[in-house]
Amino acid sequence: MSVRLKGTDSAIMIRWIPKYTTVERFLHWVHTASFIPLALTGFVLFAPWLEPLAQGAAGVTIRLIHRIAAVFFGGVPIVYAILQPRRMVLNLKEFLTFSRYDLLWLKGAFPYYVLGRHEEMPPQPRFNTGERLTAIVLVLGTLIFGLTGLPMWFLKGVMPVWLFQLAVIIHDLMFIITFAMFMVHFYLAVVHPMMWQSLVSMRYGVVSESYARAHHAMWYYGEKRAKEMWEQHRREVGH
Amino acid sequence: MIMERRRFLKLSAASMGCLLFDPALSLAAPAETKRLAMLYDNAKCVGCRACQMACKQWNKLSPVSTDPQGIYESPRRLDPNSWTQIRLARYPVSAERDYLFMKVGCMHCGEPACVAVCPTSALKKQPNGLVTFERDLCNGCGYCTQFCPFHIPQLEVINRLTGEAKSSKCTFCQDRVAEGLRPYCIQSCPAGALDWGERDAMLEKARERVAALKAGEFPQANLYGETQLGGLGRLYVLLAPPEVYGLPADPKYPAISTLWQKIVQPVGQAVFGATILGLVAAFFAARRNVHMEEVE
Repeated sequence: MSVRLKGTDSAIMIRWIPKYTTVERFLHWVHTASFIPLALTGFVLFAPWLEPLAQGAAGVTIRLIHRIAAVFFGGVPIVYAILQPRRMVLNLKEFLTFSRYDLLWLKGAFPYYVLGRHEEMPPQPRFNTGERLTAIVLVLGTLIFGLTGLPMWFLKGVMPVWLFQLAVIIHDLMFIITFAMFMVHFYLAVVHPMMWQSLVSMRYGVVSESYARAHHAMWYYGEKRAKEMWEQHRREVGH
Repeated sequence: MIMERRRFLKLSAASMGCLLFDPALSLAAPAETKRLAMLYDNAKCVGCRACQMACKQWNKLSPVSTDPQGIYESPRRLDPNSWTQIRLARYPVSAERDYLFMKVGCMHCGEPACVAVCPTSALKKQPNGLVTFERDLCNGCGYCTQFCPFHIPQLEVINRLTGEAKSSKCTFCQDRVAEGLRPYCIQSCPAGALDWGERDAMLEKARERVAALKAGEFPQANLYGETQLGGLGRLYVLLAPPEVYGLPADPKYPAISTLWQKIVQPVGQAVFGATILGLVAAFFAARRNVHMEEVE
């Protein structure tokens, strides 16, 4: 695709590489649109200073919104598994694949994301270490939210109280982890200057060739070639 | 009246200051409120269930249909419309008697777990020791029903799917007590098994009763509620060990409630705060350090 530069006659060519399917993008936004109300309504019961919102009719509404949003949140992985099971398995496999380069990512994350040192970032596959860790926590989180939330919803008074109490506290702990993670995810995907294409990819499903090269070299060049390039680069800069 | 801008701002600031100032702080501390308690004397109770009826009458609770089931209890257990209940326990308490009665209801604990877990303050612990309940504030979450060590609060589930529900429990007739009256069940008791007053006085009375009963034909007589869970607002003179009546001898404040309220929730808020601060700092650092001409 060629893009005409504003106010000039010149144009540049951008090659776009598909990263997400339409179903994935749609489900991502359903996930977002359900997670935010879930988190906010959950937070009302969590933070004592929001107590007025938890009281009486307001509280009943808050709890109802939480339930409706939960249906959508829980529905996302189910719909994904039905519509694109192969893509789901492929992604799950990728989430669970770690290598030595993930340690290098952890080491390089601060200099890269905060100090802007591009050379510190080792090559990454289609999902970088942080994305994969986020995805794993989210998959486990969804399971745990479901396993604790559904009994609290339908089995209150039926299940033993110690189990209910345990479910409440696990649900809360999972909320702390996932909500903090969501804030980091939002920052990196929407706010961070270097990651502007991540939002593009979740909207249009593609990333530019140059972005893929810089951020996901193992995906773009293949693992072997990307590693060779990285080692060669490290030798050249004298590491 | 035309007011200068400066004067208007001054007046506004002064009135805001007055609003923010809590008038309660300026008043001398009120005289210490004495804790109240109900005393149930098991030796006097005849199991007539007049207290059940009185409770329903004063609190406008609907009757509950109970089919004849060949057992004494009616209703069988506490429910959203039955805040107190007379239970029957089989136990050879003396040569002539092999049964005991037990009046069940909210214990008005000194350390009420239900109040700690209630996210709406519908349940409150009052200075006079009553654990009061405001139905309008309740959102039906039901945490109180799941954390009470005595399983007292009852949840009326209106719609399981939407989660609409209301909790309920004995309030010691909070509206009557606020007017200086006694809980309604007390004046209905024909046997004089129920008493009401300052907790210290009730304890004194209970100890005397236990001593007298022990000296008589009930060597196992004991006082229940003096120390449990910060001291209960419902004191029992029992003729047999508490377990016989289904009362836990040593009820425990739910540890998960403490962990949840005192550790997990404050830690969670700290984590959220730290994450936001960290990200703001990271953003400003990244804005300074990242050169956009190098960004792909």
